[in-house]
Amino acid sequence: MSYEEIPHTADIKIRARARSLPDLFSDLCAALMEVMYGNTRSCTLTKEITIAGNDPETVLLDFLSEVLFISEVEGIVFCDAAIQIDSQKLHAVLRGELFDPARHAGGTEVKGFSYSGLSISHDANGYMAEIVFDV
Amino acid sequence: MLQGITRTGAYEWEVPIGFVPGMRVPGKFFLSESLGASLEAGAIQQLANVATLPGILNYSLAMPDIHWGYGFPIGGVAAFDRTEGVISPGGVGFDINCGVRLLTTPLAVKDVAGRRDLVDALYNAVPTGVGAKSAMKVSAQGLDGMLMKGARFAVEAGYGLPRDIERCEENGCMKMADIKPVSQKARQRGIPQGGTLGSGNHFLELQAVREIYDQDAARAFGLMQDQICCMIHCGSRGLGHQVCTDHIKLLEAATKKYQIRLPDRQLACAPIQSPEGKAYFGAMAASANYAWANRQMITHTTREVLRRMFGIGYDDMPLVYDVAHNVAKMEEHLIGGKRVAVCVHRKGATRSFGPDCPDLPHDLAAIGQPVIIPGSMGTPSFVLKGTAVAMEKTFGSTCHGAGRVMSRTQAKKKISGREIAVDLARRGIYVRAPNEAAISDEAPDVYKPSAEVVRVVHDVGISQMVARLEPLGVIKG
Repeated sequence: MSYEEIPHTADIKIRARARSLPDLFSDLCAALMEVMYGNTRSCTLTKEITIAGNDPETVLLDFLSEVLFISEVEGIVFCDAAIQIDSQKLHAVLRGELFDPARHAGGTEVKGFSYSGLSISHDANGYMAEIVFDV
Repeated sequence: MLQGITRTGAYEWEVPIGFVPGMRVPGKFFLSESLGASLEAGAIQQLANVATLPGILNYSLAMPDIHWGYGFPIGGVAAFDRTEGVISPGGVGFDINCGVRLLTTPLAVKDVAGRRDLVDALYNAVPTGVGAKSAMKVSAQGLDGMLMKGARFAVEAGYGLPRDIERCEENGCMKMADIKPVSQKARQRGIPQGGTLGSGNHFLELQAVREIYDQDAARAFGLMQDQICCMIHCGSRGLGHQVCTDHIKLLEAATKKYQIRLPDRQLACAPIQSPEGKAYFGAMAASANYAWANRQMITHTTREVLRRMFGIGYDDMPLVYDVAHNVAKMEEHLIGGKRVAVCVHRKGATRSFGPDCPDLPHDLAAIGQPVIIPGSMGTPSFVLKGTAVAMEKTFGSTCHGAGRVMSRTQAKKKISGREIAVDLARRGIYVRAPNEAAISDEAPDVYKPSAEVVRVVHDVGISQMVARLEPLGVIKG
């Protein structure tokens, strides 16, 4: 797992690097959970998400938006995501636990994900993404 | 200052057509030399990008709290011709009708001196932070009420006074709201969050009026020297965020359908008169109404705490005003001597209507609209009044706050939340937040100095200073 927060004046900008596109998306999901709930998470329940889109950027934003929605509405804090990407379709199996104010409160709410400042690139070493979380 | 930009006045700068390809009008922004030191190239690029959108009128504008956002810059204002122009969620933001309101009390500074228990009681009563759920149970029917009636819904449900409604921009309700284009997902997020503050830069502050600059306006607004007031800053919560997410996706398809060329995907837009444009506007207006109802519900909780602890009458805590700072509005403005129907986008900018403008309460018609500019935790907030100059120069708009200058990563490295809390306590400001990070994220020096931003809008004349308020207690999400 490899992601870092890089300076951004107004919001939270994350840079992630991974060997594959599914791992990259999984890392960004983990970054989102860390921003919102910190690092104390266990894996007692599972959720599945399927997303279809025309390009990796759209699939990524739709995936993270769906994670945010489920997390908020069902009160789930995710610990990891096993992702498969087949042509333009993403299937994710997420593991997590119910939100516990004693362990998960105090993070920053993410409002959404912007196309501004979004990039996904790859070279011989693997994939890299930069994304802005609006907070 | 950046290359290619020309100075056109003491605080006025112009970004010429051609700064980015496809600009239809120039860009214009208001900034002092000292604020210019922190101007980001990315923000000016975004200001210029907005100028490429179809139907934009006069200028793509930015207020002195300009900074780098997504789609539009934060502090951006743009008006579009209602027949030929477009509407864009990137010109409103994820937090639709993020806004601020100011509530007065009959208390003076001496009455609350040392009363940390008041800040604690407010912190315990108003749900704040990630995962907080409201104690005010909103039903599906109640949600429809919030979306269609805004502040009025909350007042009719017992959460306020009829006069509160008159003291909100738009009377706390955009009448063109439409619940049909508000998705089930947005509704699911909205139901449990009615009456919650949220996190990030949202806050509830106990403030004292420290200086009055305009006695007549202050009297009309109900403000006195040394008076204790309460400022509430929040928006439309997950509901508004979901509406933005949903409609950016829908409008991306519309952008292709209507063959609109964009320099940034986040500027996805549709003609105002198209089905897609109308759907976004209706859903955005419904979200704006949700935000007004939400701030009204928090106001009720705040008044109940003050009533219980100080034995003051609920009616003795009138609202000064409530302003939106992330919104698109259908308005009429004078352009080239003619009244033109426009859609004004304000993204991190506040309406600043001058005397005798429509939508002002009768008793404020001669003064102008109250404009409320929040500071950050340790810095002052200001009350200003709207002006005729704003109607001429900025489609009746002014700044919305201080504007960030330092990233959260830098802020956390520079000083810890605990150190900031100790420093603020030394200055008589008591902060309650879920943890230290929430304090260091929003520390006073991560923002431009609010006094400097306000001085620029005052000197340019797009709003005029009425009073300065300083924080005594802060609740952060």
